Amino acid sequence: MTAGSDLIERATLIAPNSVYPPWINRFGRWICWVGGLILFGWMCHNLDLRLDVLARGFTKLGVLTKAMFPPFANGGELRIVQSLLDTFAMAVSGTVLGIIVALPLGIIGAKTVIRNPVIHFAVRRTLDILRGVPVLVWALVMISAFGLGPIAGVIALALADFPHLSKQFAEAIENSDTRPSQGILASGGNRIEAMRLGLLPQVVPVMASQSLYTLESNFRNAAILGVVGAGGIGFELEERIRIFAFDQVAWIVVAYVLSVTLLDWLSSQVRARLV
Amino acid sequence: MLELVNVTKTYGQAIAVNGVSLSIPAGSMVGILGRSGAGKSTLLRMINRLAEPTSGDVLWQGKSVLHLRGSTLRAWRARCGMMFQQFNLSPRLDVLTNVLVGSVSRRPTLQTLIKYFPAEERARAILELHALDMADLALQRAGTLSGGQQQRVAIARTMMQLPDLVLADEPIASLDPANAETVMSALSSISQERGITVLVNLHSLDIARTYCPRIIGMAKGKVVFDGSPDQLDAAMVEKIYGRRKSTESALAPAVSTTLSSIPTGEVA
Amino acid sequence: MSKSVDPTTNSDRSSWRLEQIVDHFEAERSRNLRRGRLQQLFQILVVTLLLGGAFQASGLFSSYLGDGALGRIGNFLSRLLPQLHHDRLFEDRATSGSLLYWFYDLDLWLKLLAETVQIAIVATVLGAIFALPLSFLAARNLAPAVWVYWTVRRISELVRTLPDIILALILVAAFGLGPIPGVIALTLGTTASLTKLFAEANEAADMHQLEAVQSAGGNWWQQLRFGLMPQVLPNLASYSLLRLEINVGGAAALGIVGAGGIGVELSRAITFTEFDTYFAVLIMIVGLIFVLDLTSEAIRDRLTGLEKGA
Repeated sequence: MTAGSDLIERATLIAPNSVYPPWINRFGRWICWVGGLILFGWMCHNLDLRLDVLARGFTKLGVLTKAMFPPFANGGELRIVQSLLDTFAMAVSGTVLGIIVALPLGIIGAKTVIRNPVIHFAVRRTLDILRGVPVLVWALVMISAFGLGPIAGVIALALADFPHLSKQFAEAIENSDTRPSQGILASGGNRIEAMRLGLLPQVVPVMASQSLYTLESNFRNAAILGVVGAGGIGFELEERIRIFAFDQVAWIVVAYVLSVTLLDWLSSQVRARLV
Repeated sequence: MLELVNVTKTYGQAIAVNGVSLSIPAGSMVGILGRSGAGKSTLLRMINRLAEPTSGDVLWQGKSVLHLRGSTLRAWRARCGMMFQQFNLSPRLDVLTNVLVGSVSRRPTLQTLIKYFPAEERARAILELHALDMADLALQRAGTLSGGQQQRVAIARTMMQLPDLVLADEPIASLDPANAETVMSALSSISQERGITVLVNLHSLDIARTYCPRIIGMAKGKVVFDGSPDQLDAAMVEKIYGRRKSTESALAPAVSTTLSSIPTGEVA
Repeated sequence: MSKSVDPTTNSDRSSWRLEQIVDHFEAERSRNLRRGRLQQLFQILVVTLLLGGAFQASGLFSSYLGDGALGRIGNFLSRLLPQLHHDRLFEDRATSGSLLYWFYDLDLWLKLLAETVQIAIVATVLGAIFALPLSFLAARNLAPAVWVYWTVRRISELVRTLPDIILALILVAAFGLGPIPGVIALTLGTTASLTKLFAEANEAADMHQLEAVQSAGGNWWQQLRFGLMPQVLPNLASYSLLRLEINVGGAAALGIVGAGGIGVELSRAITFTEFDTYFAVLIMIVGLIFVLDLTSEAIRDRLTGLEKGA
């Protein structure tokens, strides 16, 4: 220990702050951690996230999980597959509508097309705000407007998608190489021709790929919308959960996961060929 | 005394090190010369077991280090300080913490994970930095330092391990000549003043001649030269660096040092 | 395309006469065009059928959208908007036509909004805590064995295919109404997606820094602590913030199935056809998400900027 204190003595002469850092350096980090932990605990307390509540819930979840096996469709296989197809149809329709709305907005929102900064800013910010609305929230509105059924879901999906797609389309246009368009303008083409021949070949594959991504995520979203009344697989699922038929729930979940995986795989194959 | 007995390392079909036997007395400073791919790196990495020999044996003070496992292996690695061409510091951590990393093997794991190091270790780190003229940079981020300064931090980290042996793998290949000299003389004094065995891989013949009382030349995984700098004549140099370079062979290593001292993407 | 008679690569093309070359080219071109056109036709057919079927199935073609629809939407939109009187805007909430009359339950909504944010924060923190160790197992360069890497990756993909809402539905059945099923559902989703993102950050790390700690005698944990974490931490923090943004939206929506937060009020407003209330709550949600996005974007820019600077 004498060797140690000798070391410390010599080092303190050289760099006192490094051997014994000021208290703020030494404890500052700890104060932050403890503060964060207290804040986190306070939040958990607010949310009633207590161990006994959790324990009770997980016990019940265990019982429900046990009830899931073996998965059993109770003769509803056809109906479930049909509702999966409906959900897929909803996703496709919603995506197409979203693309139709997003195309002009994407072009207007691109800095390189519309030079007016006011329009650009207004379009972008409006889209930013709209992007904050979750698809389920749109769905609630649309269901009260159109009544229960897939059409409300389709419009909700389109409304939730077009702000995202417009932004992505605008970015695709902005990131494209402007030289081909300039070449066409230079050789006497007008702006429409420059867009058709210079811009389109570059951005179409990118946009198609983004649209496919949107379709993938819409298949998931369409399933959610069923829960609030847009029909499809979500509706089937919600119904089974309500009557605590968890073996059928399990069957639906497995069928759903399989079809999502299949769609994602197909879409990734097409996307790989696009780019 | 470090002994290598017929050490061989193969990667699939390729033979990286081919039947090398050496014995290196404690406290000596040995320069290892050879072209890239001659097996110098692999040789050093087999000593601290970052690479496993395919056959042969590595002995320290008469005991094989090849069967060491778990904590005894980590203790052995701590006794072999290693230095790298790209320093391999954590650029985002401050210099002092980078040096303190050298002490992790003798500290309780949990304490190190929360970056707690007692005053004694911090003092040791400061003194090692001070010996290299770096104490006033102790609280800076390592990433903000120049290459030469980073390599000195790496030396201090190595010394924090309280090593018996230092394995330096191309420590000066990324440095300019002035910094290269600083680092080499630091290694040299480590060997002379503290009696630590230093094995240093080098490209530059001149540097090896200046700093290393014993030079080992490797070519294609084999030791082709082992002797003092004055035994290293033109014919031997040709043997180490290959025949094709003939008369220019003595010059070539110097050129390669200059070339590799050009910063390679490292933002200092 | 058959290369054997291609005039441009044929070695003795000097013997070809010009007409021959042109003829050959034209024939080749029309053959290609015909094949391309057939293929295109087929693709168009498939896509049309798909779209037609989809539109049919989702009721886009049905007469449902007939004359009443526009009026209905108009009527609905007008009911979304509150009845405000410019001279009574700042009166108290008992006065019809004031802002406070519109936002009549502001205190409760703010409380629920705070609950939504807390659900999102707690779920993100828990998800990040779980994802960190899993990401070591799911990174190819750190995983102890290939099968570990493969298993963790597949499980995280599987969980990611299940939307939060569906998880929440099942969890509500087990935990009852309230924020807890929401927290658990979001935690699960966050863990799965952050595991993947963190693992990718780990895979991009410079392994030499870990090796340096290893050569100093550091054990596995110490290698991660001093070699890996300083490199990847800014990235992990940035990903977690991004996920927090997503989770706030998710937590708002989860209330609709009874999993706590502001969504409960949304679904209540719809059930009681208080559309102006719905609109008021919606404005608060969108405002919250907008502000959070801007804040977190600024922080993330600083984090990634730090990384580039160092």
